Amino acid sequence: MKVQIPIGPQHPALKEPISLRMTVDGEVITDADLRLGYNHRGVEKLAEEKTFIQNIYLTERICGICSHSHATTFVQGTERLMEIEAPKRGQYIRYLVSELERIHSHLLWLGVAGHEAGFDSFFMYTWRDREIVMDLLEMISGNRVHYAINTVGGVRRDLDDTQITKILEGMVTLRKRSEYYLMIGANEPTFTARLANVGYLSKEDAIALCAVGPTSRASDVTRDVRKDDPYGVYAEVPFEVCTSDLCDVLGRTVVRIKELLQSYNMIEFLLKNLPPGPVNVRAPRRAKPGEVVSLYEAPRGENIHYIKSNGTDKPERLKVRAPTLANYAATIKMLKKGFIADIPLIFAAIDPCICCAERTVELVDTRSGEERIVRFSDLRRAAEVRYKNVTRKGNAVWPL
Amino acid sequence: MKDTEIIERTQGLLGGRVLAIANPSGRRIFLTVAPGELPGVVRALRDGLGFTHLVTISGVDKGDVFEILYHFANAHACLSVRTEIPRSEPRIPTLTSIIPGAILYEREIQEMFGIVVEGIPDPRRLLISDDWPAENFPLRKDWKFTRPEETIPGGRL
Repeated sequence: MKVQIPIGPQHPALKEPISLRMTVDGEVITDADLRLGYNHRGVEKLAEEKTFIQNIYLTERICGICSHSHATTFVQGTERLMEIEAPKRGQYIRYLVSELERIHSHLLWLGVAGHEAGFDSFFMYTWRDREIVMDLLEMISGNRVHYAINTVGGVRRDLDDTQITKILEGMVTLRKRSEYYLMIGANEPTFTARLANVGYLSKEDAIALCAVGPTSRASDVTRDVRKDDPYGVYAEVPFEVCTSDLCDVLGRTVVRIKELLQSYNMIEFLLKNLPPGPVNVRAPRRAKPGEVVSLYEAPRGENIHYIKSNGTDKPERLKVRAPTLANYAATIKMLKKGFIADIPLIFAAIDPCICCAERTVELVDTRSGEERIVRFSDLRRAAEVRYKNVTRKGNAVWPL
Repeated sequence: MKDTEIIERTQGLLGGRVLAIANPSGRRIFLTVAPGELPGVVRALRDGLGFTHLVTISGVDKGDVFEILYHFANAHACLSVRTEIPRSEPRIPTLTSIIPGAILYEREIQEMFGIVVEGIPDPRRLLISDDWPAENFPLRKDWKFTRPEETIPGGRL
């Protein structure tokens, strides 16, 4: 019996609503198809009519979780077009916010993964800890989501000593908590068993399908823009590229936990070596005709802005590719031969956004044409029941 | 690998197919080729220099021509392969047989600029809606958004 399951497409709160149509044979997904554009806002066209300064705030609004990533990518490129360089202190603060954002995004993802795996206490613990970093971001920039700290030529706000002390205190707490999560993983075999062998993506496929970020690094591809193309301060900051050879959702979890610990180290390094001086320089309004490719490692993976200027105060063309789009081709590959019960987990594992978590799924029986509506929470419950009795993954080991 | 070494090896690998090559800043290389040569060039870059990762495809409307840029990246540099196609006959060959991950970017450029990607395995629309009017390509410079007049079913009171 072949059944098609359309998942999606619309939810007003999501940054990238998506329609996935799965063809399933019994429990097994045989084919997956993709339809995007339910929230296409024409940002690229709009950017051509706005000045460089206005575009910082426009690009910041591309995403609600990694808002700083897009603004930084754009500002990096614009600075190169205008032939100016942000002062050292400004750069340190800019990439400090980048790493804080990575922490909040990864903690958010860990919570979602725990939730989809049926481990809701993990979800509540990580989201409680995420508040620490959200509060720090609010203290630094005044905002919890759209920090608006970037400007062409540096950052808009400086750090004082009390703020630095508070950030360092927050990192101590977060590191302690993250180490506790590592211990949970080692002592909670059901969690590990639920994540292992789900959503397999081989190294060859990850390379061929141009996957990015933690998704590709969990398939043992050593690709991190911060290392390959050390922009900003990353040439000076010591850190390791975190990879895993597990190629499944467990690997993606491990990579993100390891990256959290790396980010804590980087933040401590940045704060302890924070140079004195101004945080920004005056920038011209216009950029000479030219073009620039700006790459950035967002929490979800590689982010690219291609900016072409024509001598005016507005860009001729701004091309944006967010990391989630690059991972869609790989997601389809992961979903194939998987189970319906694994759809929420696999889809959440690329960190598309929290999106599909509370989505209505429609099951259409192709033979009888009969439709039934299943809530995502029911699907998850079915998944939990299914995995309670499973034995084949009983020997999965927490690799940390 | 240094930028100069990549440029030298690219020129050695591609020979006369390189129309222009520039290195405007560190780790950024812009290479210009003819549109017909694209599959061969990309295959040579993938196998010979390890540019396996296609970051994205950008299009620029330059009036009489469209400029298409294929951004590749590896651990050493970010290489953008540039090609220009005439507006009157906008056709480029597909790269999906060489780099399967190119499919979504090719579908995007197809509908945004009205460029025909020859041999694309899946030519359906990706981003714009199914009831979008034909021959309207949003990222072309001559396309301007005009808000359609509001029609209220049953008429305005």
